Amino acid sequence: MTRIDVDGENARDGLMTLVVTLVELLVDAMEREALRRMESGMLTDEEVERLGTQLASLEAEIDRLKTDEGIDRSVDDLRGELNGLVDDLVHRVDDSHQSHPGYSLFKDE
Amino acid sequence: MNDTTIKEGRYLYCAVSIPDQKPDFSVTGVDDEPTTLIPIDDVGVVVHECNNLYDTDEVDLLRKWLLQHQQVVDAVGERFGTPLPFRFDTIIQGNDDRVREWAYEEADALSRYLDTLSGLWEYHIDVMIEDNELEAGLEERDERLQELTTRINDSGSGDGTNFLLEKQYNQRLATLKRRRRDERARTLRNRLSDITYEIHDRDTGERSINLTDSKGDESDRMTSQLTRLTLLAHENREKEIGDILDDVAAEPGVTVRFTGPWPPYTFTPAIGDELESEHATD
Repeated sequence: MTRIDVDGENARDGLMTLVVTLVELLVDAMEREALRRMESGMLTDEEVERLGTQLASLEAEIDRLKTDEGIDRSVDDLRGELNGLVDDLVHRVDDSHQSHPGYSLFKDE
Repeated sequence: MNDTTIKEGRYLYCAVSIPDQKPDFSVTGVDDEPTTLIPIDDVGVVVHECNNLYDTDEVDLLRKWLLQHQQVVDAVGERFGTPLPFRFDTIIQGNDDRVREWAYEEADALSRYLDTLSGLWEYHIDVMIEDNELEAGLEERDERLQELTTRINDSGSGDGTNFLLEKQYNQRLATLKRRRRDERARTLRNRLSDITYEIHDRDTGERSINLTDSKGDESDRMTSQLTRLTLLAHENREKEIGDILDDVAAEPGVTVRFTGPWPPYTFTPAIGDELESEHATD
């Protein structure tokens, strides 16, 4: 499991990982919203171009920051952990409609 | 850390059916302690003598203990058949007589669980697929991807627009790959369902401690998980399961990992939990 160290020798890396991961998630959300607006025809061609340029710059800047700080891997790991958490929650919701392990054997447990 | 010492106790590994047997059985258990088997009528309970709980902050030590616990349960399974495993660090306070007393109190449940689980084992299946195999032919069959490719290649679009078009392309590709993966996983599950008692998706979060201490493989990045399953099946179905998985493994770009038989950890009722509360309150 990824552990974010914000209180030791690696405090800076830990904090940078956390901040950059959160910024990446924010940019992902912005990109999804941009695509939604683009697909719905709400934006002119000029607006699409401007929005795309800004988001591309933002993404390139985050990539550069990760490389400079040497935190590519730790950001990936943290994102993986967060995805895992979301998957778990989704599974838990699914499981509430399904049977628990052992249901076929111990029906009254 | 809490005080982990106790006056006298027995660390419990598992219970197993030993009809008409009074076997000698001892292997090396948790923290290198020798185990013993306490026979109680037709049930044997495998234990070791202890005077402390197994509580540590050291991950390597905990991993070693978990592995040792698992090895004992595996050895019991190999010798006597499907065991009823207890959770790690299940301890009963007192001596062998206290274990017998507890086993008599739980005799009905123990016998019922062991009878029901007889011959049944747990199997784990991991199926990985190479990304390029999952993507193969998608663009040729999907008009939306073709349209996006045309627009991206259209020299009239600026860099910003192309950036968003590529995002759209990747999003669409991811959706199609997910559908293809789900479909293949569903097909496998359906084939296995006829010869198994239960099939469950295994947690993808991987929070448990990795007992094999593998560091992963960089090449994993080029593959994705098709499905991770835990099965409960009778041992005489093992070959049929293997045959189905051979078919799957023969598909291009697919890797299958099939492990087992394991003691049915996932499918065992939570027996012995009251023992943990017993020592936790003392």
